[in-house]
Amino acid sequence: MAPRSDNSKRLNELRMKHGRPPAGPNEPKAAKAEPTLREQQPRFRGLESGHRACQGCGEALAARLVMESAGPDVMVANATGCLEVFSTPWPQTAWRVPWIHSLFENASAVASGMEAAMKAKGKNTKVLSFGGDGATYDIGFQSLSGMLERHHNVLYVTYDNEAYMNTGIQRSSSTPHAASTTTSPVGAERMGKRHLKKDLLSIVAAHHIPYAASASVAYPADLQRKVRYAMGVEGPTFLVIHSPCPLGWRHDSALTVEIARRAVECGLFPLVELERGALTNIMPIRDPRPVAEYLKLQGRFAHLFKKNDYRAAEELDHLQALADHNIAIYGLRGEGTDPVDTTGVAQVRRGGPLAGRN
Amino acid sequence: MGEMTRGQYADAGTSLDFKTGNWRSTQRPVHVHAKAPCHTACPAGEDQQAWFALLQEQKVEEAWKSLVSANPMPGVTGRVCPHPCETACNRVHVDGALAIHNVERWLGDEAVRLGWDYPVAAPAKDAKTVAIVGAGPAGISAAYHCVRLGLKAEIFEALSEAGGLLRSAIPPTRLPRGPLDAELGRILDLPGITLNLRQRLGRDVTVESLKAQYAAVLLAPGCEKAKPWSVQGAVPADLHEGLELLRDFMDHGALPDAAKGDVIVHGGGNTAMDICRIMKRAGAKSVTLITASGLPGPDTAPDDLINVVPRELEEALEEGIEVIDHATVSRLIMKGSKVTGVEIIALKKEPGKDGRKRRVEFEGTERVVSVDMVVPCVGEQVDPEGYEGLLDGAYFWPDNAGGRVAERVYALGDARGSRGTVAAAIGDGRLAAEAAAAELRGEDDPSADDRSTIGIDALNTAYYAGASRTLVAKLPVSERTFEAEIEGSISRTEALAEAQRCLSCGNCLACDNCWTMCPDNAVIKTAELAMDGSHYVFDYDYCKGCGLCTHECPTGYIQSVPETN
Amino acid sequence: MREALEGSQAIARAISLCKPDVVAAYPITPQTHIVENLSKLVADGNLHTEFVSVESEFSAASVVLGAAAAGARAYTASASQGILLMSEVMYNISGMRIPLVMTIANRAVGAPLNIWNDQSDTMAVRDAGWIQLHCISNQEAVDTTIQAFRLAQETELPVAVNMDGFVLTHTMEVIDVPAQAEVDKYLPPFEFSRKLDPANPVSMGTLVDPNWFSEVRHSHHAAMVKALPKIEEIDKAFAKVFGRASGGLLTVEGDKKAKVAILAMGSVVGTMMAGQDEFKDEVGSARIVKLRAFRPFPAKALRDALKGVEKLVVIDRAISPGLGGVLGTEVSAVLSTMDNGPKVYNYALGLGGRDIQASMYKDLLKAIENPKAPRFAIFDADLKKLPPEDR
Repeated sequence: MAPRSDNSKRLNELRMKHGRPPAGPNEPKAAKAEPTLREQQPRFRGLESGHRACQGCGEALAARLVMESAGPDVMVANATGCLEVFSTPWPQTAWRVPWIHSLFENASAVASGMEAAMKAKGKNTKVLSFGGDGATYDIGFQSLSGMLERHHNVLYVTYDNEAYMNTGIQRSSSTPHAASTTTSPVGAERMGKRHLKKDLLSIVAAHHIPYAASASVAYPADLQRKVRYAMGVEGPTFLVIHSPCPLGWRHDSALTVEIARRAVECGLFPLVELERGALTNIMPIRDPRPVAEYLKLQGRFAHLFKKNDYRAAEELDHLQALADHNIAIYGLRGEGTDPVDTTGVAQVRRGGPLAGRN
Repeated sequence: MGEMTRGQYADAGTSLDFKTGNWRSTQRPVHVHAKAPCHTACPAGEDQQAWFALLQEQKVEEAWKSLVSANPMPGVTGRVCPHPCETACNRVHVDGALAIHNVERWLGDEAVRLGWDYPVAAPAKDAKTVAIVGAGPAGISAAYHCVRLGLKAEIFEALSEAGGLLRSAIPPTRLPRGPLDAELGRILDLPGITLNLRQRLGRDVTVESLKAQYAAVLLAPGCEKAKPWSVQGAVPADLHEGLELLRDFMDHGALPDAAKGDVIVHGGGNTAMDICRIMKRAGAKSVTLITASGLPGPDTAPDDLINVVPRELEEALEEGIEVIDHATVSRLIMKGSKVTGVEIIALKKEPGKDGRKRRVEFEGTERVVSVDMVVPCVGEQVDPEGYEGLLDGAYFWPDNAGGRVAERVYALGDARGSRGTVAAAIGDGRLAAEAAAAELRGEDDPSADDRSTIGIDALNTAYYAGASRTLVAKLPVSERTFEAEIEGSISRTEALAEAQRCLSCGNCLACDNCWTMCPDNAVIKTAELAMDGSHYVFDYDYCKGCGLCTHECPTGYIQSVPETN
Repeated sequence: MREALEGSQAIARAISLCKPDVVAAYPITPQTHIVENLSKLVADGNLHTEFVSVESEFSAASVVLGAAAAGARAYTASASQGILLMSEVMYNISGMRIPLVMTIANRAVGAPLNIWNDQSDTMAVRDAGWIQLHCISNQEAVDTTIQAFRLAQETELPVAVNMDGFVLTHTMEVIDVPAQAEVDKYLPPFEFSRKLDPANPVSMGTLVDPNWFSEVRHSHHAAMVKALPKIEEIDKAFAKVFGRASGGLLTVEGDKKAKVAILAMGSVVGTMMAGQDEFKDEVGSARIVKLRAFRPFPAKALRDALKGVEKLVVIDRAISPGLGGVLGTEVSAVLSTMDNGPKVYNYALGLGGRDIQASMYKDLLKAIENPKAPRFAIFDADLKKLPPEDR
């Protein structure tokens, strides 16, 4: 192994040769102007402004939160999808970390390679892998499983907006039962998606990995705690983040967090943590609310609120039963007032969120 | 145009070149410091939200200073005010209104105990002097605010003590004399305030003489004269009017003999309530209040509600006072010139043809009760002596906020027909002082604060910790006397805990929600640059106008307004 | 040091000498022995590399993509169906200009299932934008593999080294295995100018709109064209250190003045040379053009090599059904700009592992003596085996 300075010199020669000017830790940088207010923000801006996500994008919010907690010593392999497209239209990128997009279905494998490279080079940079639910639950499922089985030190984050949004709202295996999408439309014979949402978290946890958890953009402090925890784990970790999509779910862009909060509070999106396959933590629901309060804000479930349609009532009851089932199997019903239940963890006071303080 | 990079790589953070701000089509978020409902409701003009915010940061003395910038008598109002702030409090819709008056009282008492300095400077030697008639709450407040505005104040009080109705009409069970004397004394001791006792307008001074001698004249004589009362022309020979009875009792500690029997009090204000309770405590067989207003209830319209301090009503009922609401005395049954019974009839305020409410008596609901004494307590009016030409009927009716009734002459407090609480008198003191100061500077009247008020719908209550209202101890009925204060005080811990319950309606909590939840990183955290009291600025270069921050702002401080671009 | 080694074993040794940081591979016949040998080298502590045992060829290609992007020297190997499964990733690797090396143990592509050798697999990804080199012997495969790592990093293009399955991979030969010190001298440590690095973060794999896509494609094409002299240069540099070259872009063997020529890639070139030795008295000598670089395609070198040739047999180990041989079609296209270029006879043979004997040399030359000889045929197909309607 050549000494570091030699490598650095060589790298710069290469850069010059390949049309890339020298930069990096060992090179003198151009004199910097006074830092802007933006540059002085007391957080790591891993996903910068100027990205082209829709107004109120839950995925953009989730990714921003993840990057703040994970960065800056990370590198990201990002599957094809909204996040990839809206963040990196050449010549611009919103990322402030090394980031690569290859294909729809191979983010886990690319991340595996990056992690192997870090291992080979003796570096500690943590590798993250990002994908939507299509890339994770469906097309990239195999490569995800392979990565988990091989025990790569990678944090995989799936931004679950419950359909193929990048291609225009087609159903995925993560689309909830009865939701209407362009490939599970409502009609005389159908009430939206016929099948159930895939329980990916359980499948992932069954790989016996050190840590797998669900989080929601409605609970940023909880989400970021989970990211920080996963970052500290050596080995594969997995986070599924419920990320409402105003366009695909058909709701007002201002309601992204409100809807995410209701999804958790009704039990349809349980926030749980599993270690080595075993349930180790849950976010209790202080006051479970009816699923209807979550569903009625979204156009994709509008058909469930049609008057005088027995199918609507039946599907609504079905979704309520699914929520009740989640509450039962994970024991989500809180007992009294818990500072980390759905109500407690959201609370703020003058000067910041209550959660995250001791 | 740049050059295509090999492998189409892009350099970190270059998306900043793409200004997504021009995506905003319909709305943009702005910081709007709207009024908290407590502030809007407060007749004294206090911004309770502002001083609770300081308490939330444990800044107790600063909180008091913020409070007394509007109301120099928190120790008084914390005891006697019907606290419309608590009725208006948005927390009513969550888990009960804040105990604002308890905390206010505690702050007032702390200031006395610890000797905190009022946030005013001594007026300049050559400062103009304003004459103030009356050393009741309105006059004292006016004097204080004059000093605060750099003027001197000279008060003319007819009686031998300052305090006005605080002393003459409010029993010590509600307002003990210790705290009252301490607070008034501290204000009157401020440099720039002179108090002239036993100087009655009309006898010792006149409006004209004051006007000639002083830069401005503020008239705060209060209402000393009972309103004439009779039923169809009948007046009992031994009639005792409520306020008079109350003053006599507080001066001499005695009540007429008839007060030992069955007593009817006719009226519906705090004086009526006080006299009911005193008579009951003094041994009346029964005391019944007959009021045209309604008792508090889920269906009671605000303008129908009996105008008393809610806890006073509650305590009166505890003590066995009976209340017949929506009723009036329709006939006196006399034996000679002595009353032996009253006929009572049901009535209600109903809107008439012109939409204005008027009293409608319901024929067929008459009933007769035998009584030993009837005490009318239907209100007081200004003693007109010395105010000829300024009064409009029984009161002053200025048509401006400051209370100007003539050039450099202002009327304030109960003497204004539309007032009726200590807090309103204190508020008038400030408004009149401000208006007078403006007039003396040759300026227009101070403009009113026409900001909108934040309602519960503008808040996002998901972010507030549930916490029930601090319960305050009260003397049990059996231990209540004519002297001992009935409502207890709260501790520092309780006060600070109660402050944490404040929802901070319409003002920035610095909770980071907008900063944390903006998907576009378009909220920038800064204490330095935000001139509007917030801790954040919007980066409109990137804000797409999604409205998320507006929805997730707990306090309604962020509002979405139509995009003007 | 000269050792008798199986082809796959020799490749594993060559890889080992190049010190890859990351190796990812999924087993497939006839590549299997390469992966097994590498695994054994790792297990025995003779090769220090992150060996990633992936769950598919798709992931194998993706892992090396990620590894190389992160600044690691990366290597993979596959064949046949595996190459087709990788194809999406292969386009991606070259499109992002990521340098890495792959061995393709050439094999037929099903259906029908067939594990034996032809070059259908590599031809299926001819447009994937990789440098594709073909070897006629295991010695050449070893030498070309070492050259490929240097070529990849100097051009920032991925390189596929083709060697015929079984014919080479499973054949014992005496190999001159280069010494580690000499390889270290020849092959500089791996560095990638655009590598993923937190100290200097870039985003790779961006979205490019139509305003720029033509330029992207042009730049890729230009890079491939510029790689032509690089391939020769790096081969020459190899010869300087190790005393033998691997044939640059192409070489002309046999009778360099002959008016008849045979052009081929891979082990069949050796067969033709043996056939010439044996049958030149009977059918005469031919120029034998050993084409080493298939991508980038050495058009000019080929035209120079074929000057004066009247008849050219192009041996194809893969066909494009409905057109003809892949290599033959491309050679014809290239020769179309040549004045007095040869008449091209494009014969596919040895598909799916059918044995090619040295006598094929004689058969081919005899066949083109016939003025009615077809310009394309699957030469060794026995149509009698087919029902009449399928002939």
